[in-house]
Amino acid sequence: MNSTLLEVSGLTVSFDGFRAINNLSVQFEETGLRAIIGPNGAGKTTFMDIVTGKTRPDEGRVIWGERNISLLGMSESDIAMQGIGRKFQKPTVFEAQTVRQNLAMALKNPRSPMAVLMHRRTARNGARIEKIAEETGLADALTRVAGELSHGQKQWLEIGMLLAQDPRLLLVDEPAAGMTVEEREKTTDILKKAAQTCSVVVVEHDMEFVRRLECKVTVLHEGSVLAEGSLDHVTSNQSVIDVYLGRAHA
Amino acid sequence: MRKTFIAENPSVLWFLAALGLFTLVVTVLSEWVGTGLIPTSFVKTLGKTLCLCLIAIAMDVVWGYCGILSLGHFAFFGIGGYAIGMWLMYARTESIVLESFGSQVIPPTQQEISDAIGNQIFGVVGSSEFPAIWAFADNLYLQLLMIVLVPGLLALVFGWLAFRSRVTGVYLSILTQAMTLALSLYLFQNDSGLRGNNGLSGLQNIPGFETAPQSAVSLVFFWASAFALAAGYVFFAWAVSGKMGSVIKGIRDNEARVRFLGYRVESYKLFIFTVTAVVSGIAGALYYPQAGIINPGEIAPIASIYLAVWVAIGGRGRLYGAVIGAAFVSLLSSWFTGGGAPAINLGFYTIQWTDWWLVLLGLSFVAVTLFFPKGIGGLFDYLVRKP
Repeated sequence: MNSTLLEVSGLTVSFDGFRAINNLSVQFEETGLRAIIGPNGAGKTTFMDIVTGKTRPDEGRVIWGERNISLLGMSESDIAMQGIGRKFQKPTVFEAQTVRQNLAMALKNPRSPMAVLMHRRTARNGARIEKIAEETGLADALTRVAGELSHGQKQWLEIGMLLAQDPRLLLVDEPAAGMTVEEREKTTDILKKAAQTCSVVVVEHDMEFVRRLECKVTVLHEGSVLAEGSLDHVTSNQSVIDVYLGRAHA
Repeated sequence: MRKTFIAENPSVLWFLAALGLFTLVVTVLSEWVGTGLIPTSFVKTLGKTLCLCLIAIAMDVVWGYCGILSLGHFAFFGIGGYAIGMWLMYARTESIVLESFGSQVIPPTQQEISDAIGNQIFGVVGSSEFPAIWAFADNLYLQLLMIVLVPGLLALVFGWLAFRSRVTGVYLSILTQAMTLALSLYLFQNDSGLRGNNGLSGLQNIPGFETAPQSAVSLVFFWASAFALAAGYVFFAWAVSGKMGSVIKGIRDNEARVRFLGYRVESYKLFIFTVTAVVSGIAGALYYPQAGIINPGEIAPIASIYLAVWVAIGGRGRLYGAVIGAAFVSLLSSWFTGGGAPAINLGFYTIQWTDWWLVLLGLSFVAVTLFFPKGIGGLFDYLVRKP
């Protein structure tokens, strides 16, 4: 039974009078992939900012997990500890540190300063790091400095860091941007595999990539849900066509 | 599969060896136990330099590793100095007062003794009352506790307020400058309870060791400073070698990412800020007995800026860089400003280094920042071949 993991309802947020999110309601299940698409300014990134605690909404509710906790008012780090991992649009890894250090930092372990100060490497953590490196195709790169990795490898490392947190929900912002065709295929595989154990939400512009994900699609427009369903379903929706193909068509 | 801490950080061993050798050489050449080639005043200068190296590694951890450009760590250094200075001054004055009373037929009352000590210490600021902050000055152990407690608490409260409001970057630097300036201005007042601009003096005389020559006192303090630097170095090297180092470097490079990984960035900043403040306090407590005097000018904002300059020139983000920077620049500074450097006659103008040293330092700082961002410590990268 796939129950609701995250429920967002009636969400509204304005920046200087501009409504970035307008009465948005959307739900995500405990496992599986979901793609969020929409034109620029549709509120995709703002939505992620709200869920991860970076932005506070004016109205609405963000309810998490089986105990129905509200995420509003929690700090970014507390939300992350609830099991929500976020991948930024631009790959953000710690470039001055090795792949292993990057993953070690992300591994689910106590996060208080004292615990971290006293932390020493264990075989168990080492095995977890190697497993994640394997899954993300970075097994040979563990000792390399993250700054030396290719763009695609950095993206995978960041996804690997999210997986290392043992997340329940992954918010992934444009993972395929700037990737070659083979890299995209591999990214799709990584995300599909992750979606077997947790909920993966992918924000993406690229329709071809979304098609590859073969998942339910939510179309955002002007801060609310315009359509929801399979990719074929939403792309045949007239209002989606109008929004995507512009006024010339309308 | 796990390598030991030393094996993974060979620079720690090299540093300890170099420091040990240096201590040995100074000891052998000192006036007290050695040949006397190094005069006592220079032993003191070297001992003070080691204390400056200690605060420099603290600065390197907070700035070079954690990315917090604190321009107020000398406030903690000064507080450490004041804390030990209070006991030194009290205990010494007490023994002088008791000696002077010793010849009297009627033994003095406790009140008379206390008044006499108060008069001796606070006469210069027109007072004889002991302010509340001197409550523990008669107890060495409590006052030693103050060396770590007062800087630690001040850093904790200041850091909590600043980091919780997510003040970062240059704004935080300005706040830390304001903190040290405010403290310095407060201490300049006669009614601050710490003798205003007179500060605390006579700190080179160690109560209980009045008969010991300064050559001995200076060498013991030199050893203590060397030991403190070694201990501080090993502690910080250990702390930054592990996951703590990873996290704080992560905070330096991308605070938001660390936060979204579930770390409470504010707690880490507060932790690092407070620990380095405590170490700065210890460094100050070792420094001022060697200097002999402390006054509010010591914690003027410029002192903390120099600290940042040392670390930048030495190479931030590597502990030995901070040590090299602090030692090199502070010794060079006392050579130039102390009249050691010969004036240069250009024919139409004579460069007096006491006037021009700051210009030279400023230019070097700009040059290092622009052309050698790794500082002097970066030169070691050429010695060590990449694996």
